[in-house]
Amino acid sequence: MIEKAMRALVIVPAWNEDRDLPAVLEELRRVAPEWDVCVVDDGSADRTAAVAREGGATVLRLPMNLGIGGAVQTGYLWARDHGYEIAAQIDGDGQHDPRYLADALQPIAAGTADLVIGSRHLGAGGFRSSAVRRAGARYLSWFLRLRCGARVTDPTSGFRVAGRRAIELFAANYPSDYPEPEAVALAARRGLRLQEIPVAMRERQHGTSSIGPARTLYYLIKVSLALVLLPAERRHKPEIAG
Amino acid sequence: MTHPLLPVPLQIAACATLVAFFGWVLYLVRFHRLSVRDSLLWLLSTGLVLLFALFPGLLQALARAIAVQVPSNALFALAILYLTLNVLSLMIALSNASSRTRRLAQECALLRAELNELRSEMRSPGRPA
Repeated sequence: MIEKAMRALVIVPAWNEDRDLPAVLEELRRVAPEWDVCVVDDGSADRTAAVAREGGATVLRLPMNLGIGGAVQTGYLWARDHGYEIAAQIDGDGQHDPRYLADALQPIAAGTADLVIGSRHLGAGGFRSSAVRRAGARYLSWFLRLRCGARVTDPTSGFRVAGRRAIELFAANYPSDYPEPEAVALAARRGLRLQEIPVAMRERQHGTSSIGPARTLYYLIKVSLALVLLPAERRHKPEIAG
Repeated sequence: MTHPLLPVPLQIAACATLVAFFGWVLYLVRFHRLSVRDSLLWLLSTGLVLLFALFPGLLQALARAIAVQVPSNALFALAILYLTLNVLSLMIALSNASSRTRRLAQECALLRAELNELRSEMRSPGRPA
């Protein structure tokens, strides 16, 4: 459980999610009542913002669609500016079970990790993606380890919990092209401590996955390129930036 | 200054086109549709090509200097290189502008949320948001 002193925020990026969002917010209220909730409405054309407000969430309403990277970063900016010590991100389509927030919080509250990632590939069961995409995930995690020493089994997972250092980093600097794997790389390079916990994900209720089987390969090539071309910077020792 | 490389009518047409282009760029700057900074490259390159049109001998000398046999090929090669660099610099400016726009959009979202919080606080005083 969260100690009283720790302020925690859940960031829910949402783009045209007014069908699934009420259930997500209701579940958050029920399962994780200690967490503040902030929905980032990424330029939706539907009632996402209104639904989020009715659900009791703070709404960060972007004037245009920035894509998942820009939306999530808006949440981290809010978390940083309002002094949250912990910020989680979960998808607005109900794929992620907020019950795992408590597990993901433990390493950060204990001070042993800066960024916790919920992984589908650590045996928690639940909805499994296709074999092609699992192979893709294995390749990406191998590549991430090669490129920057990050050890993660599910680099595209959008279920993450960030501690203070990760919040600072992501608020100032969040990748926009292929944000999930790139953010892992960024965090690893800055010397943040990463940890994974097993989570089970649910099949989304509406809509289809944004990446089909044929596109997976193209996606992997683009992500690999993005990871090869990570922004140049001086090597950082693991220290807390002022 | 007639030259075997460039017949006079063609030379006149080229110069007229370039002068018109030069004038257009100046017009754009004067009516604030192009910044002075961004116009410099265009004015400079147009002036340079105008010089070549007036004195085709210069182009021959240039081609010899970079060891290209046909002067017009030297011109084409340099022009393509110049245009490529120009497009790249445009893309850089565009990337820059889009990341700034992104940052501004985020700031808008944050400010709007702050405003909403303040408003609801004012409507129900005593109950902290």
